Amino acid sequence: MEPSPDATVFIVDDDAGVRDALAWLLRSRHLLSEVFESAEQFDAALRSRPAPNHPCCLLLDVRMPGMSGLALFDQLIERGLQAAMPVIFLTGHADVPTAVDAVKRGAFDFCEKPFSDNALVDRIEQALQRSAEVLAQHRQHRGLQVRLTELTERERDVMRLVVEGLPNKLIADQLDISVRTVEVHRSRVFDKMNVKSAVELANLLRSLG
Amino acid sequence: MSAAELASPSGPLRTRGWQARLLPLGWRRWTLWLLLAALVLVMLGIMVYLAGRYEASQVQSRLERDTSDALSDIRGGLTRNVQSLQALQSSNPSPNSWAIDAAEMLRQHRELMRIEWRDASLRTLAHVDTPYRGNLFGRSAVDGQGGRDRAQTDVSLACANARRFNGPAYSSSYFVPSSDGLGLEVIEMCLPLINSGRIAGYAVASYALQEVLANLVGRQLARSQEISFTEADGTRLALHGSARRGVRMFTAQQLLDLPGNTLVLRLDSWHSAPSLFPNVMTALVTAMSIALVSVLVLLAKDTRRRLAAERDLADALAFRKAMEDSLVTGLRARDLQGHITYVNPAFCQMVGFSAEELLGHGVPAPYWPPDRVTEYEQRQAIRLAGNVPPREGFESVFMRKDGTRFPVLVIEAPLINAQGLQTGWMSAFLDISEQRRIEELSRASQERLQATARLATVGEMASLLSHELNQPLAAISSYATGSMNLLRHQGASAPPDLDMALRRIAEQAERAGRVIKSVHDFVRRRDQAREPVAARALLEAIMPLVTLQARKLGVRVITDIEPGLPEVLCDRTMVEQVLLNLARNGMQAMEPCDLAQRVLRIEARKAASNESSGWLEWRVIDHGPGIPKEVGEQLFTPFFTTKAEGMGLGLSLCRTVVEQHGGYLGFEGQAPRGTIFSFTLPVKKGPLPEAAVAAAV
Repeated sequence: MEPSPDATVFIVDDDAGVRDALAWLLRSRHLLSEVFESAEQFDAALRSRPAPNHPCCLLLDVRMPGMSGLALFDQLIERGLQAAMPVIFLTGHADVPTAVDAVKRGAFDFCEKPFSDNALVDRIEQALQRSAEVLAQHRQHRGLQVRLTELTERERDVMRLVVEGLPNKLIADQLDISVRTVEVHRSRVFDKMNVKSAVELANLLRSLG
Repeated sequence: MSAAELASPSGPLRTRGWQARLLPLGWRRWTLWLLLAALVLVMLGIMVYLAGRYEASQVQSRLERDTSDALSDIRGGLTRNVQSLQALQSSNPSPNSWAIDAAEMLRQHRELMRIEWRDASLRTLAHVDTPYRGNLFGRSAVDGQGGRDRAQTDVSLACANARRFNGPAYSSSYFVPSSDGLGLEVIEMCLPLINSGRIAGYAVASYALQEVLANLVGRQLARSQEISFTEADGTRLALHGSARRGVRMFTAQQLLDLPGNTLVLRLDSWHSAPSLFPNVMTALVTAMSIALVSVLVLLAKDTRRRLAAERDLADALAFRKAMEDSLVTGLRARDLQGHITYVNPAFCQMVGFSAEELLGHGVPAPYWPPDRVTEYEQRQAIRLAGNVPPREGFESVFMRKDGTRFPVLVIEAPLINAQGLQTGWMSAFLDISEQRRIEELSRASQERLQATARLATVGEMASLLSHELNQPLAAISSYATGSMNLLRHQGASAPPDLDMALRRIAEQAERAGRVIKSVHDFVRRRDQAREPVAARALLEAIMPLVTLQARKLGVRVITDIEPGLPEVLCDRTMVEQVLLNLARNGMQAMEPCDLAQRVLRIEARKAASNESSGWLEWRVIDHGPGIPKEVGEQLFTPFFTTKAEGMGLGLSLCRTVVEQHGGYLGFEGQAPRGTIFSFTLPVKKGPLPEAAVAAAV
């Protein structure tokens, strides 16, 4: 699957040679990239713009002067960004244990320098895909949330009972309304939530958690 | 005591020693005996003297008694004579009849020389002379009473007294020469004759003093002693009796107080010297008994002292035995010929021979290793020549009975007997194999630490090199791959050789990366098994090296480990390196400071900052001048150093190690001066380490 054309790869490495080479390599695979020479710089850039709404991933060098890659990663975890922006650590041999540890904590992967580059790019594409999925999920959740807020109080009650699998008659009994009214509410809920059946509705709500 | 003795702690002891030297034991004993003998002699003398004195006083008092007896005899006789004279007048005699009676009286009383009857005016009415003396007064009595004339004064004086006393009175004595050329000392007695209250006349009696002594004094008194009358000035008037002359003369004098006259009666008695022999016998027996008792008492005392001394000696022996048995130091004494004269149990245990096997054994000793006998014999020869070995001892090698060898520390001292002569050598032996083993261990651990340090440095260098080389290699590889990608997009128009060359570049870059990795892995291939280690154990492992350097740099090291710390899970040797590096840096940082300020603190405590508190924090605090800001920024940069001989890898290595453990190494300034380096390590139940372990293997 081709990543969306606006997918961006952020590269944070103190070594300009590595940075530029990686950017060039990605460009050869038609991937956009943005380079930063330190964790602080990236952090500042991240804070200065809204949360990313298009797929992205982060290539992060572990050992850098100033803020280390790990420290930056900790910050991302704190801000809940590591899901939408998967992190791939770039490491030397010495830092392997640290990188392994980082993966345990939620990093997408790590890659030892010097990397076999196309494999790295493949991994990057996977990360971008993950990012896209997460973003899509986010978007879906957000749409669902919006639609849920559009339901009236009565419609929400009916929906809860429908999802529990009760027939219309029992719903009417419980809510002390007529079966006819239940049917109206029910069709309006299906309409608003953009589903065809009760099963579909239940799945949708379960995905929301 | 002199000031010097006061100053010396053994002053009193030395004083006692001085006395002992002046009066050796034998001398003291002799003095005692001499003293005893002298005492006995003095006692003997006193006793003999007292006995003699007693005897003399006995004699003297007997003599005094005799004198009193003699005196009363004389008085009685004189009184009886006065009565007889009165009796002559009792029957109103005529001068003729009176003369007959008087003559009769004179015959009976030989002491009377003459009796006269005189009238009141002292004219002689009648007189009778003693028949025993011829005519005493007659030689000059040619003219009637002329012989008596010379006595007239004495007579009239006596009669005047008699008249005054109204009783008999005596004249003083006077000498009457007799016809044979001798003479007599004579006194007159005048008795007033009283008739109807009036003095009718006088009876005058002349006494010869010598005859008085001879007749009035009891015979037995005059037998062994001389009786004499003397005047007050000692002039002898009359003498009676003759004593046997002896060595000692005893004299008693008493006054014979007569009316009108006073005479001294004197008794002289010669006595042989008091017989010494029986007195001496008594004294000797007494003295001997006293001496015997004293000797017995002394003996009893001596025996008691001897028993006490024996008991003390037994105690001392038991004490010494216990001491010898408890000693771990082997003791051995040898005489001057090299024969063993004494060994203690510790020595026997040390060499594995029994005391019986060793005692009396000469050179070579059975515990000498056979191949060293020559060397030891030379050593002994030097010793026997009188060279005192060094006080701190020397090391040697002995062989046990089972043939195993062990190093000993030998300390020898000459054995000096009570006479101050050297009789041999006393040697103490310490088995130092254990000490050797510990030294070996500590040296090994030191070497291990140093080797690890070297290895860690090499590892760190490899790590840094690989990192630095990997960066350009990664870039090369990226460019090559990118280029290939571009070529592939252009399809067939691209020259095939170029694609091949680019692939080669990527391959070679990858190869270089593999080479670097293999070198790195080779260096890093050490047993990184994490083990739980107590903080104190970590500290103790490096303290020998730290204190060594601290002593050299004049630094005081204070360690402070919070009690109850859990064990940390770590690669022990690497963490030791970190601590050692930080401690060394700290000490070197304080070199420009005053000695008093050179204090290095090493602390371990629970890290409070970490949420799970599953971390332990080590802090190494120096009081140096601190770290300037520009230095601080580069502090962990590899190959950056402020030391002339440093490689700039120490701190970099430290950080690598700590990060490998998942910990954090940092530093901060300390007010008012100094720097705190701190790092954290996971405790045993930490959440982290399994990942690190998995990666490290």
